[in-house]
This record gives sequence, structure tokens and C-alpha cells, in this order.
Amino acid sequence: MRALERGLKLVVVDPRKTELAARADIWLPLRPGTNVPLANGIAHVIIREGLYNREFIEQHTENFEAYAQYILAEWPLERVERITGIRREYIEQIARLYARAERALIFWGLGVTEHRSGSNAVMALADLALLCGHIGRPGTGAMPLRGQNNVQGACDMGGLPYVLPGYQKLDDPLTRKKFEEIWGRPLPEAPGLTETMMYQEALAGRFKALYVVGYDVAMTHGNLNKVHRALEELELLVVHDIFWPKTADFAHVVFPVACLFEKDGTTDNGERRVQRIRKLVDPPEGVLTDWQIIAEISKRLGYEMSYQTVEDIFEEMRRLMPTFQGLTYARLEEKGLCWPVPDENHAGTELMFTDGFPRPGGKASFALPKYWVPEEEPTYDYPFVLITGRRLYHYNCGSMTRRVPGLMEWLPEELVEINPKDARKLKIRERDKIKVITRRGEVIARAHITNRVNPGTIFMDFHFLEPLTNLLTSPGIDVKVHTPEYKVAAARIELVD
Amino acid sequence: MEMWINETKVKIKAGQTILEVAKEAGIKIPTLCFLPGAEEPSVPCGLCVVEVEGRGLVRACSTLAEPDMKVFTDTEEVKKVRKQKLESLVANHYGDCKAPCGQPCPGGLNIQGYISFIARGEYASALSLIKERLPLPATVGRVCPRFCEPRCRRAVVDMPVAINDLKRFVADWGLAHGELKPEIKPPTGKRVAVVGAGPAGLSAAYYLRLNGHEVTIFEAREEPGGMPRWAIPEFKLPKDVLRKEIESILSVGIELKTGKAWGRDFNLKDLFEEGFEAVFLAIGSPKERFHDVPGEKEAVSGLEILYKLNSGERPEVGKRVLVMGGGYTAVDVARSLLRLGAEVTLLYPRSRMEMPAPQREIREAEKEGVKLFLMALPLKIEKAGDTYKVLIARTVLSEPDQNKARKIVPLEGSEETHEFDLVVRAWGEEPDPEFKNFGELEAQLATTPGGQIKVSSGTQATNLEGVWAGGDFASGPKTVIQAVAAGRRAAENIHRYLMGLEKKGSTVSAKFDFNRGRRPEEMDLDFYRDFPTVPRETPSERPVAERVGQFEEVVLGLTEEQARREAERCLKCGCLGFHKCTFREVLIAENVAATKGRKRAKYKIDSDHPFIEVDSNKCIGCYRCVRSCLYEGLELKIYAQGTPEEEIHFSFTENCVSCGSCVDACPTGALTRKDSTVPFAKGEVREIRTVCAYCGTGCNILARVKNGSILEVTGENIPPNYGDLCVKGRFGYVFYRHPERLKKPLLRESRSQDFKEASWEEAFDFVAERLQKIKETYGPQAIGVLCSARTTNEETFVAQKFARAVIGTNNVDNPARV
Repeated sequence: MRALERGLKLVVVDPRKTELAARADIWLPLRPGTNVPLANGIAHVIIREGLYNREFIEQHTENFEAYAQYILAEWPLERVERITGIRREYIEQIARLYARAERALIFWGLGVTEHRSGSNAVMALADLALLCGHIGRPGTGAMPLRGQNNVQGACDMGGLPYVLPGYQKLDDPLTRKKFEEIWGRPLPEAPGLTETMMYQEALAGRFKALYVVGYDVAMTHGNLNKVHRALEELELLVVHDIFWPKTADFAHVVFPVACLFEKDGTTDNGERRVQRIRKLVDPPEGVLTDWQIIAEISKRLGYEMSYQTVEDIFEEMRRLMPTFQGLTYARLEEKGLCWPVPDENHAGTELMFTDGFPRPGGKASFALPKYWVPEEEPTYDYPFVLITGRRLYHYNCGSMTRRVPGLMEWLPEELVEINPKDARKLKIRERDKIKVITRRGEVIARAHITNRVNPGTIFMDFHFLEPLTNLLTSPGIDVKVHTPEYKVAAARIELVD
Repeated sequence: MEMWINETKVKIKAGQTILEVAKEAGIKIPTLCFLPGAEEPSVPCGLCVVEVEGRGLVRACSTLAEPDMKVFTDTEEVKKVRKQKLESLVANHYGDCKAPCGQPCPGGLNIQGYISFIARGEYASALSLIKERLPLPATVGRVCPRFCEPRCRRAVVDMPVAINDLKRFVADWGLAHGELKPEIKPPTGKRVAVVGAGPAGLSAAYYLRLNGHEVTIFEAREEPGGMPRWAIPEFKLPKDVLRKEIESILSVGIELKTGKAWGRDFNLKDLFEEGFEAVFLAIGSPKERFHDVPGEKEAVSGLEILYKLNSGERPEVGKRVLVMGGGYTAVDVARSLLRLGAEVTLLYPRSRMEMPAPQREIREAEKEGVKLFLMALPLKIEKAGDTYKVLIARTVLSEPDQNKARKIVPLEGSEETHEFDLVVRAWGEEPDPEFKNFGELEAQLATTPGGQIKVSSGTQATNLEGVWAGGDFASGPKTVIQAVAAGRRAAENIHRYLMGLEKKGSTVSAKFDFNRGRRPEEMDLDFYRDFPTVPRETPSERPVAERVGQFEEVVLGLTEEQARREAERCLKCGCLGFHKCTFREVLIAENVAATKGRKRAKYKIDSDHPFIEVDSNKCIGCYRCVRSCLYEGLELKIYAQGTPEEEIHFSFTENCVSCGSCVDACPTGALTRKDSTVPFAKGEVREIRTVCAYCGTGCNILARVKNGSILEVTGENIPPNYGDLCVKGRFGYVFYRHPERLKKPLLRESRSQDFKEASWEEAFDFVAERLQKIKETYGPQAIGVLCSARTTNEETFVAQKFARAVIGTNNVDNPARV
């Protein structure tokens, strides 16, 4: 906000007129699911008009020729215009604005990643930054805005099936040796299943037990019917949470746990800033923290985790993760530091890629971002595109914010945003009860008529237990990392009497 | 570059204002409206005025510092201008800095605070707040005469809040739910002797122990408790309640020696020789008073009867009983004898309103069947065999003498002789001066003309070094809460003495406290008309018919639902912006009294915003709220600012995103947060920095924590948020104390069963066994772990290690996709 007052130019790409879009210099309400074509279209203009940063490309990148050829050949503006619904003049204007700016930043949220071509869209945006050399300098870069408190840390700590903590490779022999020595156990070799694949495997009868630490999958995952069926197949489902989650309906064991105000530790924010979490108050009587519960079960499975404090865990993390090597609790006392912090004298890395990229040769490689159309397009029977997302006054599954009276005053229930034109056609008035139907199911909620959504699109959040919005969402998943396509589902609306 | 402030040389940088230079140099210049980085308001507060040599008075916030400038921040001229300015602000300010209920409380309890905790359902926090100043809340909650309730402003709306009943509720909750463990400071190696285990002695011992001292209590009787143990009847204060409460006091590590009487078993010299460095004397006031009525020694001592009853005896008392007196002892004895089957007459020479016992208890006594014989006086008591003959005259009161006292005069010709089976005297008690003969040190203790030990009122210190005294022993018979207060006061002073600490700077006097009127005729009744009436909750009582013949407790206490409703009745008079009020700080620093504050409200309190309450009566027109808002979320218009005709129009606009930065910017209680319902002072809370529990921006928050509760959350001025927060960060933290928090592990063998609460051990064993079985049957690939996006790094690390090292699978993922 303060930057806007100082004259920062803001471009917002969103099919919906969000709070931020309302303050933007340019708002591009593109057709849902068409991020890759738009980014490639912008690249097309930059390449065609020679606005790219030749020097940066030569020194710091490779594969530019192939990329330029791909973009010029595959992504003429006529095609981009047709797919995205954004006029070429705007695309040209933005391309010039971005390329000519001395410093420019790209942020993205789940509106980019929650599509079949989500990971490709991220690559397309990274390509733009490389193209203009908007990276490695203050005020430049390309980064995701992260939705949950420690989702960055969850990835950093190796909560992923294909990497070890600190994004270390599973198949690197030296890394494996280091872990095996400190943990005293052999590491499994094969990469694991992503969450989406776990459900697939459960339905196929090959996956039997799921241990969930504070994550309401039965509410927040896309295409819930399938998830619910998968959870019902499990022989053991263990859940940790602070409030009763939807997932607990399917569980065998539910553990209460301390919340973030009731324990010590660290979290990583979206900037990779490692920050201290401090205990403010005691948890409800007798309630343990997540790690203590896991350590108890581990002991019963014959593996002693002999940590006395969370700092002991942190010390083990430092030994195993080069990116955390230079971090100590004492250093985090004043303020957080951005990893990588290779040694105790290192001041942290607020800015990445200042001198090259972590690849052989130190150069970044242009990816060729491919486009997959969304799993579903509007049809005669399902003429609307349903977009899902979140709202200011609630947080994710809503278990915390639905228990804050003032927030419930602001937004007490799910509201289906619908454009006045569509509402008129369907004879829907403000706060009428409507039924939203997709090929997977139907839910009932009240309508909110607003210009925030364009004609032909409707918007719902997923903060409420009733209705369970994700019963509607698409079965589509990202082709690479399996993120559900929350952002596009073909839907139909009926007025409920 | 340099310049001079108050003749001290200070460094300046180009472009700095005088205010900024002074701040860097640590020199205080008051300001109310200055907001770094924001435009100045159309009417600046003008308090930052300073004198610049050669230029006269200038505003420090808008005057650039120049080399060699000579600035004076507190000349007579400057002070005068500031004073005028502040006085005009004072004249427009209407509010209560502190809740009026807390003022008359001898214990100085934060009453509004514990009531708020009760309203929030945070009983442990309420109790912890009470115990900061009162370690016997279940006792006081039953016997306190309620100094507070007459001052409760709710009285002008309907009825005062049932403050003492709420205290009792939460104290009883504490006794039923296990005690709080207070924080005990590290051992100091100092030993203190406390003589007498009554409320004063127990309180002194408790607070001394919490400060890390080694405390021994010497008690003459066989059990601790003092008057509450031996004199207050069981039906008012059940002894097992008292016993539990005393146990919890002693459990912090206090040694109790019973059967050890001062003067019989030891004296002061012995204590000092044993290595005690300080002594607190609190042996109470057990000596009976007499009135020179012929034959009065024939009557039985009321106190003796109460002692006997509290020792478990049930003496034969006959049928017709006369109790002489009108204080606690008299009424308690009368009600006790009634329970033993007697017909009791209570004789008192003045009117009912003049009886020292609380009217509430007199009413109870009458309800139970005690006959009041008022305006009557015994002239002679004779005992003949088993019968007493008492000559009783009616009384009149004399014309007021010089001291405005009206004496009792027997009405001539009204004498009559009455017959009773038992006559009890309960004319009150006084301290026993006998202690002067206990030893050579004791002989040196200074006394009042009446023979009572003399102490300094602020410190409870006697004239002897190392000796303090308090409770009824030093004050004569008073209430339990007064004894507790004396004990705590003594403990604080003994602590300072032992540790060689300076006495704290004089506490800021009440002249800086704004108040909405002390007496009803001073108060703005129109202002209180806006509060809806809500009936006061009354604790249920044992029916009168059940009371005779048994000593079971009469008043049964509020139920939880009643307590919550009653706590909601509190009008929250005490300012909830107290801890952030710069206005008050400036008034104190500039020594401008708040006594001329307005006594009439101009504006209604506006509670329409979901998170913020607006009281324009406290607005000082600095516009910091408007100037701190990035969203044009509020509008403020002030007409005739600074004059008595001033008119303030404040409203939130549709643009408000509830980020709350206006509340933080407001230097008074004009804008307060609805979540922050416990009033506190700045220095009272622990400020702890942590990270917001919501989104991945990772904003740093500063939590103000006290009594095991988060009182409020504000933004911390470091990256990434530099003090800013969104609505969830600033107001959404309260989820943690929601009653629906899961508290016990739940377990079921299969999905067709219902969940049952399980012990932690059971749940651990079950999970481990089933995981082991699945791993053996299907292999580790059939098991997966999903980490959380809301746990710490350490916990995610342990979770993925569990998958990889313990289960043996890389099937581990996290919620990065939502």
C-alpha cells in the first residue's frame, strides 16, 4: 500500500476483481486456467520487440534460442488473445512495462499453481524474469505468496516425497550416507507417493495407513468424494489437530495437540525467513505437542527419538541441512534470517541468485512452458466456471477463524459470488439460496451478486463445513506435481425454492 | 553537525527535526499527534513546543534542527503553553481511567479484570489474577462485606454486579479443578518468621515465599486459619473450604509450626537468634470487650461459643437466649444458637442501620428467626440458678456532641426485667496488650495510647528493625480482606528490606485518574440510560426451614451459567486503553491534573464495528487514527476543535478492512479493541514476540501475556511486516482459547464404532501396534505421513524422519497445494 502511494505500478492478473485488483493500475481478468498462454504471450512481445536483457541472458542463462523459437512459433498474440480473452494491446502494454522497468517483481499465488498446467505456469513466469534479467537484484525476482503459516517450512524440512530435508537429493550417495549415519537407519530408496497418489493407491487397495499431522484433507482437498472414498479404505487413519477436523470423521485415532501459541520452535515464511515461534501460554491441560506424540509412537516402534527440547531437534536439522548450518536459536533471537545460511557468520540470504544459479555451470535454463487446457470447460449443461479460493476474513479450512466471533460477524457463511448479468438471467436475487452442481456433486449456499466476478464465472471459498465446496471441485490435477485443479470446474446453478 | 538541547550537546543529521534529534539523544519531548511518515494534522496537538534561542517557541515536530541551535525543552514559557493545551484537552475528556469498583477494595484487586476473564470462560486466568493480591479467595468470597459493590456503576442502571459472588465462583472452581501453580522466584537464602496463621500471616507468608524467601509460620493453636477457622461459623464458611485454601497456600513451600505460642514458647529475641532476619506479627485481636454492666461477667462469651462450635462441640444452650451486641460476632453467635434449637433475641442499643454487621447478614438472621431487640440496653444481669434475669431499658440517642457522635441514653421508666436461659455477650474484641511482657525486645515495641501495637500504615513496620505487624493485631478487629492486604503489604516491605531494595517511587496519585463521577449525583445518568438492564444473578440458598438444627453452608454460590451471565453485566468502566494511553503519561509528566475532566458525556459509545469500540468522549483530536489508515477506512470530523463547543464525528467507512492499526495509533481509550477486555498497565504484562499463526507472510507479532492468557496482539516493527498486521493477525488470535479445543485422545478400533476417550498411553500403543501390523503385512509403502503447514519446522522434521527412518518410506507430503 505504501509502495503504491509512492508510485509503484501494479498489474494484477486475476479472473476476479480482488481487493488488490481494485487498486491496480492494470487489471487483467483473464479466462480461468489460461496463465501459461498469457505469460507466453508477454514473452512473445518481449522477444519480438527485442526488449529482453541480452547481456543477462548471455551471461546467466542457457537454452534461450530454443525458448525464443518455441515462443515465437507457438504463441502468436492472436492465439493468446483467443485463449485468454485479453486484448493484445494490454498484453503488449504489460510486456513493455515489465521489460522496461528498472526493477520488477512477479508474485503468484495458488491461482497460478492450482491448474493442470500450474507448474508450467510457474516456469513461464520464471522465464519472464530471466528474459528481462529481473532476478538477483533488490526489487526483482519471482516468488510465490504462501498461504499457510509454515507451508514453506513443511517443504524446506523435507515434507515431500521426492527430496530430503533442505531439498537434498534422495539418490545422492553422500547425502544418503550422512542421513543414515545420524539417524542410524537405512533410508528408503524409492521416491514416495504424492498425497494425491496416496488416495489413488488407497482406492487400488495398495495403501493402508495414513498419519496426518494437522491437515484437514477431508475438507480441503479437491474432488472430495474420491478422497473420502479413499480414506474409508484405510486400515488406520491417525489425525492430529486442535479442533475436530472433517478428516477425523474417517479416523481411528484423534490426538489433540498444542497450537502455535503454546510451544517453541521455528517456522519459515514465504521469503525463506526462519523465525522463532515462542510459547505464549500453556496448552490445555495434559495436551502434548505434535513432535512429542510422534516421538512416543516412534519409541513403541523401536526407534528412540531422544530429544529433550525442540532446540535439540533444531541442532540435528542444522547438522543435516547445509542451508541451515549457520542458524542457531541464539542468532534468531532478534529477528529471523533467510536461508541459506551456510555458516554462523553468514548474515542470511535475503536475495537469491545474486551471482548465478545452483546448476552445473551456474546458469539458469529457459524452460519451454507447455499448456494443458483445464480438465473441464463450460458446456451447455454446465455453463459456468466455478473458481474456488479464500477470503480475507477466513483462513484455509476455517477451523480457527470460524471460532473468532468478530470474523464470523464479517463473514458468517459461504456466499456464491455471481455476476449481476447471470443473476438476472437466472432470476436470482441477493442472498437467495442456490444449488451449485458439478459433475461430481451439488451443494446449497446463498448467492452474493457482485461485479467482482465476470459473467460466466462463479466464486466460492472453502472455509465452511456446510457447504463442503470441495465436493464440487475438478478431478483434474497438475501434470507434474499433482496439485488439484481447484480453480476451474464446470458448474450449473439452480435456484432453490 | 551539532546543536544544544537543554545545554547538552547533541549530534544532528541533515533534514532531522528537533523532535527526531531529541528522541535519538534520549531527551523526552511530549507529543500526542506526531506519527512518523504521516502528514501533520490540520490542528496539531502543539505539545512538542520548545523554546529556541532567538526564535521563541516552535513546534519540535515540524522545525528542522540547525547547527548550533540552542533548544530548551522545559522552560517556564514552554511549560505554561503545554499546560494550557493539556488543560483544554482535559476539559473535554470524559471517562474512567480505572474502574471505580477497584478503588475501595482494601485488597486492591483488579476486579474488572477478573470479571472479564470469567466472562471469557478463562477461570484459571481469573483466579491467577485474583491470587496476585489475594491468596484466600474462597474464604473472602464468602465473608467479604463487599466494599466494592456499592461503588459499581451498574447500580445506576439496575443493580451492582455481584462481584463477590463471582470471586467465590471462580475460587470454588479452582478448588474443584486443582490448584494453580504460581511462579516461585529462586531461593534468596533469607528466613522470615510469621507469627500467627490467620489471614494476615498466611498472606504475608505466601507472598514472601513467592519472592523466594524461606518462611516459617508459628501458630499458637492446633490448626491454622485464625478467625476464619475458629470464629466464623461453619454455615458461612465451611471448614474444608478454608482447609483446602490454606493447604494450597502452604503447598508453595511454607513451613507451619502449630502449638507454638509467642510469649509462651518463644519471643522475638529467640527468633532472631534462630536466624530469622525478619518477623511478621499477626496474632489477631482476641481480647473481649466489656461495658461495665453489673453482672456482665455472668454472661457467656460469644467468641467462646463460636470457638467451641468450630471445634466440633455442640453445647446445651437452653431455650430462651439473649445475645448482646450488633457486630459480626453477635450475629454469628445468634444464628449459631438458633441452629442449636434456641429462641434467640439480639439486643442492640441503636437502630438496625447502625449495627456494624452487614445488613445482608442481619436480614438472614431475621429470616432464620432471630428476634431483633433494637434501641435497648442491658442495665443489670443476674444469674439465679439456671435462669438469668436481665434488666433492660429502651434507649434514645443524645443530641450530637462536638464530635457529632450521639450517645446512648436509657429511657427513664422503660426498665423491665426479662428472663433467659442463657445470656451471651458479644460486644466486640480488641488486641491484647499483654505482648509487651513477652521479652526485652517486645518491651521496646511502640504502642498506641490504647495499648495496641503501632505500625506505619504504608509499610506495616513497627518501630523495631526487622519487625512488622499486621492484621487485627495491628488494626483491631477488621475484615479478612483487610488482614490479607496488610499481610501482603508487609510482605512487600519485608522483601525490600531483606533484599536491600529501594522503596518504589511514589505511586502516581489519583489526581491523574479521570472519573465519570464519584457519587451518583455527580454522574451523567443519561449516559447510563443506554445500557440495557439485566437482572442481577443471585446465588441459591439453603431454605430457611433446613437451616435450623444443622450447620451446612447457607449460600450455595453461582452456577457456571449464572456466573457467565453475571460477568457479562460488567459495564467495563475502567479504560481498556489504559496500557496504551500516552495522554495520561503526558499529563503525569507535565503534572496536569485530570480532576477537571468532564462529568457529562457528549457521545454514545459506538460498538458497531466487529472488533473496535469507539468512545469519542475520550478523543483528543490528534487524527492519528485517520492518518495511520492505509485504506481510507474511517472518517473523523471535528468542529470547533479545542473549544468547549467541540463536536466530534467519527465513523468507519465501507473500506475498513479491520486491520486495527487505528487502534494502535490512538493515544487514548477513544479506540479500543473488543478482544482486549482485561484492563492492565504497561509494566504488568510480559511482551513476547512470535509469528502470526495464519498465512505464510510470517508477520511478527508482539503478544501481551498475563495470567496465562493472551491479552492482546500487536504488530512488531521488524521484517517482514514492520508493525503492520491484517485482521486475522491482530484480532484472530483468540481461537486458541475456544472451548471446542480438543483435549483428550480419541480412539476407535474400526469406523463402525463410536469414538471413546482414551489415555495417551492407550492411544500411543494402539497406533504403534497397528502401524507395525500394516507394515509387516503390506510393507512400508502402504503407509504415508502427511505433514502440516501449521506446525513448526522441528515438528515437520520429526514427522518426515518418522516416515523415512522409522516406517521406512518416502511417502511423505504436505499441504503445499492448498
